[in-house]
Amino acid sequence: MTQFGRQLGIGPTDNTSDQRTPRKPLRLIPSVARESFVPVVPARYVIRTHEWDMTRIAPGRPRGDGTPIEVTGTLRNENGTPIRDALIEIWNANHHGRYRHVEDASGLQLDENFFGMGRVVTDEDGNYRFWTISPGAYLARPDIGRWRPKHIHLSISGGSARLITQMYFPNEPNNASDPMAILMGDGFENNIGKTYETSDLDVDEGYRFDIVVGGRNATFFE
Amino acid sequence: MTQDNGSNLLKATNEDTSGPFFPIYFQDESLEDLTVLGPGIVGAPSGQHIILCGRVLDRHGNLANGVLMEFWQANAKGIYNSPANLGHPDLDSWFNGYGRLRSASGEYKFCTIMPGASDSRAPNITITLFSDGISRIVTQVFFEGHKANETDPVLKSLDTDDQARLIARHGGQTDGGAEIYLLDIVMAGVNETPFFDDFES
Ligand SMILES: [Fe+2]
Repeated sequence: MTQFGRQLGIGPTDNTSDQRTPRKPLRLIPSVARESFVPVVPARYVIRTHEWDMTRIAPGRPRGDGTPIEVTGTLRNENGTPIRDALIEIWNANHHGRYRHVEDASGLQLDENFFGMGRVVTDEDGNYRFWTISPGAYLARPDIGRWRPKHIHLSISGGSARLITQMYFPNEPNNASDPMAILMGDGFENNIGKTYETSDLDVDEGYRFDIVVGGRNATFFE
Repeated sequence: MTQDNGSNLLKATNEDTSGPFFPIYFQDESLEDLTVLGPGIVGAPSGQHIILCGRVLDRHGNLANGVLMEFWQANAKGIYNSPANLGHPDLDSWFNGYGRLRSASGEYKFCTIMPGASDSRAPNITITLFSDGISRIVTQVFFEGHKANETDPVLKSLDTDDQARLIARHGGQTDGGAEIYLLDIVMAGVNETPFFDDFES
């Protein structure tokens, strides 16, 4: 007999969420089959060595428009064990809110000095670091004037740890109306980077974003 | 760090939607065809070549453009390349069992080998979907004509309609000898594909 789990929420004012969110509750995985549902991503990553610095397209090139920032954090599992050698794929809109992606039809301004995509790998202690340009907010629903708040996309693959998430920024006016933030409820706080001093660094702002991979559909072999 | 009340576990970072713009730039062709090791390399994984293909559809029957799909499966002998099987004699050096592709249109085609049956399980491939509007959703696909489907614990946990929604149809053979299997994944609505959640929910 089928056993049911969570009912997924639909993001308010998010048309795609309405079109794509399963309406039936999730089925529980029979315990004998649980491990088969936990992919292990082989650590064979292709990364260019300069990709940690997304503030410029390549070393020696000028910086993109806007505010250069640093994002750092530690990747751990729920038990607090650091996840080393994990791939973090990063993408964010430029200062004007535009992605350098062929399907971004917003018409917002591209920046010839900003690429907006980079990859880093966590070190022995699960730490990661990258630089980018602080992204612009963009108008996601022009018809109702709803903006997507500033955010950076992060996709994490490390052994059996797999997570796609976004880092948001503190005190942004559009945070409260964001459909995904609404679904997260109080937990949204966890997805906001915490500012730190960067006067000794060649960036203007620093954000600490510690990431914990866990919860449902996640298992760790360590 | 934030902790759950009454638990020593750290609070997990919320999953979030991948949005519509997962970078095509991060595409890795070696993860879209697991039968090929790479240009100029001698060697191949064991097993019958198969092509799993179909469409990912939304609640209105429209193609779900921009979906990121990940695949996870055992090798031809039914062994997963996971840390739990480290040193297992039936591991295949040339088969990791993890695939990934992003489909611009919502149609997909994944080239791999037929996974072996393992323990009490029928041959299957786990599919993880990421897309705009949702966070990760997970399901498992089976193959038409396998006797073990009748006793598989995942299939047996579902009603017959849902079982049918997870069994890929055999659709002939390519000139190169790969068996074709067809499966549409319906994210929501009528004929919705069953998606799964951790058993500890
Ligand atoms: Fe975005």
